[in-house]
Amino acid sequence: MTRNFRPFANDFLVRAAVAAVVLVLAAIVLHVVTRGAALVTWEFLTTAPRSAGRAGGIAPVLVSTVAVTAVALAAALPLAVGAAVFLVEAVRPEATAARLTRGCLSVLAAVPSIVFGLAGNMIFCDWLGFGFSILAGGLTLALMILPIAACVAETTLRMHGEDRRAGYALGLPQRRIVWSIMLPAAAPGIFAGLGLGFGRAVAESAALIFTSGYVVRMPDSVFDSGRTLAVHILDLAMNVPGGDGNAFATATVLLASVAAVVALFTALDGKRGRDFI
Amino acid sequence: MPARTIVIAILSAALALAGQAVSHAQQEVRIVVTGSSTIAPLMMDIAQRYEASHPGVQVDVQTGGSSRGLSDVRRKLADIGMVSRALGREEGDVAATRIAWDGVALIVHAQNPLERLSDDQVRAIYTGEVTRWEALGPWDGPITVVSKAEGRSTLGIFVHYLGLDIRDIRAHTIIGDNEQAVKVVAGNPRAVGYISIGAAEYHASAMTPIRAIALGSVAPTSANVANGSYPVRRELNLVTYPDPAAPVEEFLRFASGEQVHDLISEHYFSPASN
Repeated sequence: MTRNFRPFANDFLVRAAVAAVVLVLAAIVLHVVTRGAALVTWEFLTTAPRSAGRAGGIAPVLVSTVAVTAVALAAALPLAVGAAVFLVEAVRPEATAARLTRGCLSVLAAVPSIVFGLAGNMIFCDWLGFGFSILAGGLTLALMILPIAACVAETTLRMHGEDRRAGYALGLPQRRIVWSIMLPAAAPGIFAGLGLGFGRAVAESAALIFTSGYVVRMPDSVFDSGRTLAVHILDLAMNVPGGDGNAFATATVLLASVAAVVALFTALDGKRGRDFI
Repeated sequence: MPARTIVIAILSAALALAGQAVSHAQQEVRIVVTGSSTIAPLMMDIAQRYEASHPGVQVDVQTGGSSRGLSDVRRKLADIGMVSRALGREEGDVAATRIAWDGVALIVHAQNPLERLSDDQVRAIYTGEVTRWEALGPWDGPITVVSKAEGRSTLGIFVHYLGLDIRDIRAHTIIGDNEQAVKVVAGNPRAVGYISIGAAEYHASAMTPIRAIALGSVAPTSANVANGSYPVRRELNLVTYPDPAAPVEEFLRFASGEQVHDLISEHYFSPASN
């Protein structure tokens, strides 16, 4: 009896879990899109906000979001790959340096985003003198997505241990093994890690209010302050009476862009990953 | 290896742009304003109008709360701080320019038939002595008490008016911003909260199911806040170090002048008449 029941229970639990995931996502998307989609017009995407965001569009906010995210991913990529290669190639897994590095990454992953915001404000805005800027916001986000990107990169590099040993067996120098064998083989995984990091970065508001800031002017450079989509949604929903409509419209745009980027990363992961570097 | 070439090309382009931006930024006057999230949306509009009439000046508005505004001015991270309360005696190192008033009123759900509550009744609700609407009038069910998080200046004004200590407050829901209080009360017919009168007036006109109830006996309208007859109000201030630089001083004059009174009303505050 129990023996017959178990596969059914497993099957049922798995299906229920999948249904729950899909339902939750569908509920959020429906809630946002039904209220916001009608307000998303070409004009909304191409004009600046007016009247504290209640009127007008989100063009400078979109540009700032792309800039902050690009800075974050560009800064996180070498750090994450560097840390992962260090952990796989330079030290033995049980060495103190490896345990210390891994411990630091775990702690970094558990730090609340508001603490990243305050620390980023102190380090990048104050000490390094960047002020409230896209650069400060992007670098703060890079620190936030570093743990997950490094962890995924390390796991993927270890998965290709056989290629690595084959390279050493052929007597190739370590530099060549890393650049020509390990990294190309692990590129899809590294991209997947960055994709996860992107999701965290683009949804972040607490860490950015204190670093990239609140300004809705079109940024001239990465040294200008710029408000991202998530910060804009938070401000419209929480601070601006009558901002709800445009908050939902902005959230619709954010959801659509996340979906587009996820699709892009999936495509890179599937086909083009091996061509990188 | 075309990908590597592309990466190098993108990085060089980014560096070139950054270099250009540094030289570009030096030609402009930049005024940084940080602080109260209540004032920030209004200040954004004032800044936009100021930039339109003063080419070459950029006003960057940041947010993060009144205390942050003060500390950023003291750390010289900001030229102007936004502080949505009166300055204390120990804050005499900075100078304040009052730009507007903001009244605080109670809000209940539109279905709640109560017309007014005495100060004693409000005190009883917020200290947890009264927990059901039956005790107060023609409405029933348990009261959901909505209060603000510590550090919010609306909370400070509210407890100061009632003569309570923050630790006396027994709330079921602690929220941060006005809009959050509106969302909680609009979704719960048995809730009571307190928010900025301007926000309450906006939501009454936007058909949100909430209703404002006076603290005290004067009707909670922005007109009564402006003329001073409504007792529970706070000042919205801009703070700087005494004798600010000329561009900062000029912006302060603009932000406290008649030319922005329409923006202040549009944000449901009451302009401060000097």
